Amino acid sequence: MATQRHTLIPGASFVDPKVLARIGNLELLARILVDGFINGIHKASSLGVSVDFAEHRGYMPGDDIRRIDWRLYARTDRYYVKEFEADSNANFSVILDVSKSMGFSSGGLSKLDYAKFLAASLTYLANQQRDRVGIVTFDSEIIERVPPSAKHLDVVFHTIDRAIAGRPGLFGDPLFRMTEFFKRRGILALISDFYEEPDIILSAVKQFRAQGHDVMVFHVLDPAELEFPYDTASSFEDMESGERIPIVPENLREQYKKLIEEHTLALAKSFTEQQIDYAVFNTSTPIDYALFAFLSARERMARAR
Amino acid sequence: MAFLAPLLLLGLAALAVPVLIHLTHRERGQVISFPSLMFLERVPYRSMRRQKIRNWPLFLLRCAAVILLILAFARPFFTDTTSLAGTLNGGREIVVLLDRSYSMGYSDRWQQAQAAAQEEINTLGPNDLATLVLFEQNAEIGARSSVNHASVYAAIARAEVGANITRFGPALQLAKSILEQSEFTEREVVLISDFQKNGWTGDEAVSFEEGIRLRPIPIDGTDASNVTITSVAFEREPFSAAEQVTAMARLVNQSDLNVTNLLVALELDGHEVATQLIDIEASGTATVSFDPFIVSEDQLRGTVRISDDALLQDNMFHFTVSSGQLVSVLIVKPDAATLDSSLYLENALAVGNTPTFVTETITVRDLNTDVLEGRSVVILNDTAPFDGPTGNALVNFVGAGGGLLAVLGESVRWTPEASDVLPGSFGTPTARLSSRSNVLGYVDYSHPVFDIFNAPRSGDLSSAQFFQQRPFTVTNPESVLARFADGSVALAERRIGQGHVLVWASTLDSYWNDLALKPVYLPFVHQLAKHLGKYVEPTEWHTTAQLLDVASMYAARGHRLEFGRDDPVAVAPTGARLPITGTDSSVFLELAHQGFYEIHTPGAVVDVPLALAVNADRSESDLATLDPQELASSVTGRAVTERLGNLVLHERSPEDAEEQQALWRYLLVAALLLLTAETVLSNQLSQRAR
Repeated sequence: MATQRHTLIPGASFVDPKVLARIGNLELLARILVDGFINGIHKASSLGVSVDFAEHRGYMPGDDIRRIDWRLYARTDRYYVKEFEADSNANFSVILDVSKSMGFSSGGLSKLDYAKFLAASLTYLANQQRDRVGIVTFDSEIIERVPPSAKHLDVVFHTIDRAIAGRPGLFGDPLFRMTEFFKRRGILALISDFYEEPDIILSAVKQFRAQGHDVMVFHVLDPAELEFPYDTASSFEDMESGERIPIVPENLREQYKKLIEEHTLALAKSFTEQQIDYAVFNTSTPIDYALFAFLSARERMARAR
Repeated sequence: MAFLAPLLLLGLAALAVPVLIHLTHRERGQVISFPSLMFLERVPYRSMRRQKIRNWPLFLLRCAAVILLILAFARPFFTDTTSLAGTLNGGREIVVLLDRSYSMGYSDRWQQAQAAAQEEINTLGPNDLATLVLFEQNAEIGARSSVNHASVYAAIARAEVGANITRFGPALQLAKSILEQSEFTEREVVLISDFQKNGWTGDEAVSFEEGIRLRPIPIDGTDASNVTITSVAFEREPFSAAEQVTAMARLVNQSDLNVTNLLVALELDGHEVATQLIDIEASGTATVSFDPFIVSEDQLRGTVRISDDALLQDNMFHFTVSSGQLVSVLIVKPDAATLDSSLYLENALAVGNTPTFVTETITVRDLNTDVLEGRSVVILNDTAPFDGPTGNALVNFVGAGGGLLAVLGESVRWTPEASDVLPGSFGTPTARLSSRSNVLGYVDYSHPVFDIFNAPRSGDLSSAQFFQQRPFTVTNPESVLARFADGSVALAERRIGQGHVLVWASTLDSYWNDLALKPVYLPFVHQLAKHLGKYVEPTEWHTTAQLLDVASMYAARGHRLEFGRDDPVAVAPTGARLPITGTDSSVFLELAHQGFYEIHTPGAVVDVPLALAVNADRSESDLATLDPQELASSVTGRAVTERLGNLVLHERSPEDAEEQQALWRYLLVAALLLLTAETVLSNQLSQRAR
């Protein structure tokens, strides 16, 4: 997967047929009411013309007389109009962290590449179900923004392709500024390695939730970040700040693993409380397998609700 | 164990370097990029392992390499004299260079030198080897010892002072070649000499290899008076049929003492004929002139002798004086010649006494066989070639060894009947009065006549202007000795029998040219006369160590030796008979002793021995010395150990001991091996770590 195939659309190479074959029969359904323009598969915030009955209301002059429920008129001798729920398409946006730490790789795919596969697969899936797709990349500030549109699949792929992990990242300010972009309720997929305090992350993500977006959080981590497999005493350099500290790994491996586990648990707990889907993606796990697990779990939860 | 440079041991502090490397190297060695140190920074920092030495073999290797390097630079050596004695007595070879030049005869120097040499032999152990080299101008091996050193000891006692000068170069070269073949590690050259400055020029290019030491033992004599007869000069004057010779001896006082009432005696044929008493100041010179004596015999042996002083060899000066140094020249001028036609020629020949030319001028009509009797050279000054009896007489004269110079002037006439004596034929005179004058253009400087003009500023023959000349056609082009600028012959030679004929194609007066007015005229005429008269510069004396070419000497006297039939025999001053044998024309006799050599020719009808006076080279009388250490340093390339007393074992300086043991080399090699092992080990470790 690391080798990009040459296609007409550069970013399309991040859409792996193997992944699509695995997740193609799944749907990326919004768990909330979305604001769409055309018919889609998501529940719209307004009433529409679906087959699902919503309510009766009194006839108002100007209503289409074809929508009058004649059976109810026969019983009540009043004009009632039958209303149905509307199905709509949704805005789907990927918020992709391209900070320098995302460029880390302990041997296989870098975190950013893995995130690009994730973003491309989700975008493709969304586009297939006629959702409008867009993307925003950020590190310490917003780098690129593609507004959601049904015609923006290519542009999104281009943006994914161009993304490089170059500068130190920052949560908070860029995410706060992003809230201005997502006025219409939709689905947001936030992909990052989340090297920040859980409180700060949550306070930033919570803004989207407050706007009514359905937020999915993908926490991408390299196996080395999870397992800390180093055994040679070395200087460890922070990829973003350049700071170095001498480390004897075997002395602090367990403590490190404990700390990263606590971090992911804290994030999971916080996001769950906010009804935000959160999953840790290990870059050593095949992306189709991980994405399938995530989406099927989401579907199951959607049915349960 | 001691060290030449103990301060360098402070470098052992460098041992901290491997320690620091081991404690800090790994921290700097590898840098791992990690996405974030967010969690790592929260872990309490512990560096327990970095304070430990992780690889003890590597650490010890590095420490050992550093220690060995420092020890090598501190130049260690063993000071244990017991072990040193064992080494020395385990075998050493010495070469004793004993100076026997005649300056060693000064005062008691020779006895001192012999004692010093014998003392050196006494210090030898049973396993040691000694070689005695006696040297003066040349060096020869006196004796070599094996187990018993008595032969060397005896050779020293037998050795005598020679008559030659000091030259250190050959002796040192011989010692070097002996010791370079030696298998002993302890090799030494002991140089016993008075270290005369004249013996060492500094250009000898003798250099001992590493491990050969040179120990000079200077011999000093007590300060005593020393007067040297440096040379004897002679003034010759013709006296009747013989020569009257005045001998003048030059004396130099080489010492710092004034000498008074020094007896200077002249001996002739063994009889004292004159004595004088003179005074010479310290470092002064004096010339003693004796009353003239007549040399009528073929050869007279003479000796100038002074009373004995500290150096005997230079107190006498031998010489031989030969008669027959007169060259008789007959000038034949035309009957109608002007008075001054032979003026320049006569006056030129009248000057000088080496040789003295006895000149007689006659006219053509007086020329007959009787007049030619006893003449060495006949100059036909503008007189025609002769036919008939006179012509035959001239041919016979030349064939018997006489010299003939034909000057082709105005009056000569070519006749076909003329006797064949000239090297060619001549024509009528060509005048150049209307055109540019002629000059000498080509001169054969290799010919004895022109030899002295060869050097720069030794006479410009081309300065003379020739206005008239006679064209001369030679029968053999190789006989031309000089040509004019227009290519015509100026001087040509022909050999008849044992004599020579020269033809000069112009005049020797001032009528046809101005050569007679030029400074080169006199030497030119003298050279012509000397060559034709076969004059050989007399050698009154030779110096010792000179090689005498006996065959050439005989040839110069008109004799030709046939080796194998009449081999001459030389009798040395010591009385030894030295047969002179050879198969070719060059046979050499080495003149080794001071005095008179006699060379006898057994085949001769009357054996009149030829005497050769031989004197020692007087440069040896200059006793100025050079610094022995300086000489030793220039030969060995390093400072020299002083000799201390009469120790059986020569105490060596720490530098010498260290240099000989050269422990630093082994230490450096060991350090190199350790560092190589360290490199291999650390490479393996680092590869394993990756």
